[in-house]
Amino acid sequence: MVGLPYDLVANPLGAVRSTFEKAAASSGFDPNGKDWGVLDLFRHFLFDQGRLSQVPILNGETIRWIQPKTLVRFRAMVQDMLGNEFYVGAYQDGSVWRTNKFTDVSQFRLDDSSPHTQVWERRLLYCVPVPGQNSWTEPSSESVVNHCKDFIPQQREKRRRMDDEAIDDMNMLVSDNGFQVSPSVKKKEDGRPSTSSQTRDSLSEGYCSNTSIAPGIDKDFLSCLVKIYDSPESDLKLNDVFEFIGVLTLDSELNEDKDDHDEPDNGFCDDVMEHLPPIKVPRLHCLIHRKLAAPDFLCGSPMMEPKPHFVREMREVLLRHLTVVLGNDGIAAHFMLLHLLSRVHARVDTVAVGKLSLNLTCFSKESAALFGSRLSLALKTLLPFTHCIPLTLEYLNSVSLAPKKDYETNRLVTGVLQLAEGSHIIIDETQLEAGTLNSVGMENARLLRNLLELQRVEYDFKYYKMEMAADVQLLIFSEAKSNILPADIVMPFQPSSVGSSEVVTAEALEAWRWYLATVKSLPHSIESEMQKVVENDLVAARQTDRSIGSHDFNRWLTMGRLMSLSFGETCLSLEHWQMVKELERLRRERLK
Amino acid sequence: MASDSPAANVNNGPSSPDDSYSSPIGNTFSSPGDASGRRRRRPSSTPSAFSTPSPTRFTTSDANPALTPTPSYRTRHGTGAGRGRRASSATPIAATPSSTDDAPASSEGGDGYDAEDVRPTYVWGTNISVEDVNEAIYRFLKHFRESSSQSEEDALLIEGKYETAIKRVLEFEGDSLDVDAHDVFAYDPDLYTKMVRYPLEVLAIFDIALMNMVSRIDPLFEKHIQTRIFNLKSSTSMRNLNPSDIERMVSLKGMIIRCSSIIPEIREAVFRCLVCGYYSDPVVVNRGQITEPKLCLKEECQARNSMTLVHNRCRFADKQIVRLQETPDEIPDGGTPHTVSLLMHDKLVDTGKPGDRVEVTGIYRAMTVRVGPTQRTVKSLFKTYIDCLHIKKTDKSRMLTGDPKEAENPVGRSTEDITFDEEKVKQLKELSKLPDIYDRLTRSLAPNIWELDDVKKGLLCQLFGGNALNLPSGASFRGDINILLVGDPGTSKSQLLQYIHKLSPRGIYTSGRGSSAVGLTAYVAKDPETGETVLESGALVLSDRGICCIDEFDKMSENARSMLHEVMEQQTVSIAKAGIIASLNARTSVLACANPSGSRYNPRLSVIDNIHLPPTLLSRFDLIYLILDKADEQTDRRLAKHIVSLHFENPESAVQDVLDLSTLTAYVSYARRHIHPQLSDEAAEELTRGYVEMRRRGNFPGSSKKVITATPRQIESLIRLSEALARIRFSEWVENRDVTEAFRLLEVAMQQSATDHSTGTIDMDLITTGVSASERMRRESLLSTTRNIIMEKMQLGGPSMRLLELLEELKKQISGSEVHLNDLRNAVSTLASEGFVAVHGDSVKRM
Repeated sequence: MVGLPYDLVANPLGAVRSTFEKAAASSGFDPNGKDWGVLDLFRHFLFDQGRLSQVPILNGETIRWIQPKTLVRFRAMVQDMLGNEFYVGAYQDGSVWRTNKFTDVSQFRLDDSSPHTQVWERRLLYCVPVPGQNSWTEPSSESVVNHCKDFIPQQREKRRRMDDEAIDDMNMLVSDNGFQVSPSVKKKEDGRPSTSSQTRDSLSEGYCSNTSIAPGIDKDFLSCLVKIYDSPESDLKLNDVFEFIGVLTLDSELNEDKDDHDEPDNGFCDDVMEHLPPIKVPRLHCLIHRKLAAPDFLCGSPMMEPKPHFVREMREVLLRHLTVVLGNDGIAAHFMLLHLLSRVHARVDTVAVGKLSLNLTCFSKESAALFGSRLSLALKTLLPFTHCIPLTLEYLNSVSLAPKKDYETNRLVTGVLQLAEGSHIIIDETQLEAGTLNSVGMENARLLRNLLELQRVEYDFKYYKMEMAADVQLLIFSEAKSNILPADIVMPFQPSSVGSSEVVTAEALEAWRWYLATVKSLPHSIESEMQKVVENDLVAARQTDRSIGSHDFNRWLTMGRLMSLSFGETCLSLEHWQMVKELERLRRERLK
Repeated sequence: MASDSPAANVNNGPSSPDDSYSSPIGNTFSSPGDASGRRRRRPSSTPSAFSTPSPTRFTTSDANPALTPTPSYRTRHGTGAGRGRRASSATPIAATPSSTDDAPASSEGGDGYDAEDVRPTYVWGTNISVEDVNEAIYRFLKHFRESSSQSEEDALLIEGKYETAIKRVLEFEGDSLDVDAHDVFAYDPDLYTKMVRYPLEVLAIFDIALMNMVSRIDPLFEKHIQTRIFNLKSSTSMRNLNPSDIERMVSLKGMIIRCSSIIPEIREAVFRCLVCGYYSDPVVVNRGQITEPKLCLKEECQARNSMTLVHNRCRFADKQIVRLQETPDEIPDGGTPHTVSLLMHDKLVDTGKPGDRVEVTGIYRAMTVRVGPTQRTVKSLFKTYIDCLHIKKTDKSRMLTGDPKEAENPVGRSTEDITFDEEKVKQLKELSKLPDIYDRLTRSLAPNIWELDDVKKGLLCQLFGGNALNLPSGASFRGDINILLVGDPGTSKSQLLQYIHKLSPRGIYTSGRGSSAVGLTAYVAKDPETGETVLESGALVLSDRGICCIDEFDKMSENARSMLHEVMEQQTVSIAKAGIIASLNARTSVLACANPSGSRYNPRLSVIDNIHLPPTLLSRFDLIYLILDKADEQTDRRLAKHIVSLHFENPESAVQDVLDLSTLTAYVSYARRHIHPQLSDEAAEELTRGYVEMRRRGNFPGSSKKVITATPRQIESLIRLSEALARIRFSEWVENRDVTEAFRLLEVAMQQSATDHSTGTIDMDLITTGVSASERMRRESLLSTTRNIIMEKMQLGGPSMRLLELLEELKKQISGSEVHLNDLRNAVSTLASEGFVAVHGDSVKRM
């Protein structure tokens, strides 16, 4: 692709169309909806040429600066799936094939005399910012704003230089579909701008008025209706976090005409659209999407390979930090580290292997307030997605934890427990007092317990429940061992100092985030010799104490795995296994 | 009417440009059944001003119904696709009955299709020849016969299946004929393909052919009969509907989640002039819109904008929009259910309610979304829906049970049929021939719960079940096998239960803690709306022919448990409440699990003492398994190995050759339906011999004590077990090896539960009465010793003696075993009942 005729960032649709028309002109063209090479073009541009950073990130802040029909990046979690949508994908305008892919409205009028139209389909996903996302994961908005600010004049320059065809193109676009954004533009449009300068004016006005659209959008919670093309269903799952790169459309013209509903009882076919007016929920026509994992949220440059000595060092520093945060309780800090590294790495029937929930006991109300807030603050700076649930009676009795399907609007109403993979929840049980739980409370308690034990959340679909797998780290504060929420590890918390928290440098934080994100995703295995040792240890433990069961075995093995991972090693060694046993011994002593 | 479609609008298939301008969902569909039916009726009901039907309709229609497809008709089929199939077919249909009325002779000449015009007429854009299809349909309706009645000469005597059906419809004055698509396929695969591919066109012809037949059978029949196709060969998953399915006939399964209110949809409007009072001719819906006449049509009046709609003269039809959602089992991992809208008309309205699982046959349609009525531009989007042709309620989420010969109402339509296609059956039969099928099935049952093989074998027998037997005398023997699992906490009893519940037909899972007697059996409730008393079924009745899994059986209230007595032996639930006296079937197998009353099982005590269940109930379980957590290094090692591999190995690789859940389910349901093994003579002999031997084991030579090692209940259990084992092999005969295995299973279970720990022998008394024979002998000897002491120590009418003193004396006399105060108390109270002593509190007095 030499000499791109269009700026892919500013006018991605131009590229889509021109490549399509080129492809359609070639012989043997089969309009079947499959990609005709435009994705490779974008992929090449974004990844091979490394222009990804030029694409502005879409969020509540930047939506005011970003113009519609440009390329944006949007990082979000799939909250609901709205099924498939059929659209006229390709049609013949005269003898030329045109496409509607990646747009909402057809560029040319769809004439009923057009003999050939092709219906294609796309998927609709309702995406929201990842729940509990911490601010450090977002790139500083300032740079984006600046970027956008220089971006506009630059675009104008570009536009001016565009060849005639492109301007015609734009012309058509404006005159046919109309930027009916504000009256001023409309007036302009009535005059049917024919020269390029006029077009530009109306366009820029369009931009200005676009900024006035933005207030319709919730600044802190920008949700988006993402339209996915040509991607297998198994690619995108509910609650997955993705970066969507695609064309943003904010057109108010898409606002469905209410007059259309001359029959008020028109059924409930377009509920979804009605509840998600384009003015509130922008549409994003996704060109490329990629799944994001924790490391993708690190802002800094990608760090080098996890070298053993480096990781070891990092581990020590982080452990020290956690010890300080936990009031000099070194053992608790060890458990905390393992807890932060845990993730569900396999599921065997109902067992979620790899989870390690932690219950810190011996909190009083005061110490919970002090250490709780300090800890949650510390975790906020370390982990990408964190939550805090103050477990009070009213909370349990009133909150809706599980997502619920609302058949009136045909939407999945989110619940507190609809979380992205790898989220962290702190549950503060110290605030719970004696009282009565109503049926909602019982249900909520059961949900929490299920999440804790099985790492599954039941979604309420009214006529049936559907279990969704979750992968959430749970940390529980309680006065004594929590019976409502039986965690994997019960750890009496014994702080020895209330020392003020240390000042942490940004570099250190960044390094720790990197450490946690990287080490967590390392693979792990066991040698057959070591396996023998472990088995013998387990059998011996059970022979001496009959009360030890599979539950404890699971915990030890998980800890062993995490322990060696925390050193950056991918194979369980005897040394680490001994450390686990020692930690367990210390913990048991405390429990007595 | 037919001429209004411009022939220029050419399209071929799904993306008709005509669709682009079609109206919203509500207006695209008009039912011919009603349309023509009412039209036909109208002349008689309102003979006055409206007796002449709209001229356009009847003049354009061809005089000869056999030659219906005129050029105008053809264009309508092409371009009218967006209109809805019924609208497009309205013209010819309306024509058909009317012309047969007028000229019955034309259609009486046998196959009236040898038309003089031989030029084939094709449906637009397709290779469907209208005549061919018409004839094929006619042949099908006339000649199709069920394959079962295909003994050559008979076949000619019996009427065709659909000819009979049509006659029945005529008798009942019905308005639709259900046509099984499987029949169409069996008779004419080509017709079937055409029907699925071009349903709009073919169904229109179908209706014409049907009406032709109707008029031949009963020329005076006026109503229109509609064809309703159901039971397509393949059913589509909602998820896989894609643009290529548009305008095709599809069949979907799903759950109704929402029904709109019933919408009266206007079909024909009548206007009246406000100036002169002139009534217009009925105006027919065109493209979902009714055009109001701009000026009065009466020549003398001709007032402008004076026409107003007369509501009660208009004709409306029922319409309903229903939303269908995927059933949970079709949703892939990490997805949310898809939904699709259904459009229901006339008779189909309100056939399903939210929560119903249905199978729908219909035509998948799409229409564009208009930006606004004034704008000619359309958004390039489509809304999709399904024009519903047929709806069938199903409930097939679980495997099917029941022997067809026991079917309650054989007359009723077989809505619950799982048809095993031949390939599947072949595959299952192949499986059953494997020599290790029994072990393989055992392995496949809850594969992640290791060990417990005998328990699993028992559960397998329960799944397959024995044969129920009803004697002419009215006595019946249950075929269901009841199993109780007793065991230490943490021995995966509940997981087993959950697993069986998932697998079993109509399984109900309850926890003993939360169940009350009424919740288990049935209760009478007042309907909140009507105030009528209604009988609501509880878990046991709901799991009729299934397995009722009861967790925490021991925690169940006394009251609730007593209800189980009847269920487990008689298999009915009797209820006499609030004026309702009923006996409901509860032919259910019970799978219960219980924890020992102490947290751990005490091997020194009997089962009865451990779980505190009444012996009467316990004896109704065929198999009682003790799942104990033994301090055994071998098991510990296996546990350790299992968990280590869980953590460090790829869990998928650990699973060896086991059947997946769906195959297992299919296997079990097929066996339950089709295999009804009978006892062979040798097997019967073996049973008798084994039973006698079991009884004999209780008689120790030279010992006076009688231990019952088996009761008649056991022999019934044995028969059931051996039948189930034969079923596992898909064998129609119970063989010796089945009986041997049944004995082994029973023995394993009994050894665990009915072993008298003081003697080490099996003692059924432990289960049946809760007291072992050795215990009874000990009590008797205690009683006689006590009697002797009292005779010795106390005078008749003399001073009383304290129980504790008596105990001291007893201990002196019986030095061997320990005597408890309780035992003594029991003995004394027995004596008191004999009138030998009088007991006042702690003191005993001889009388």
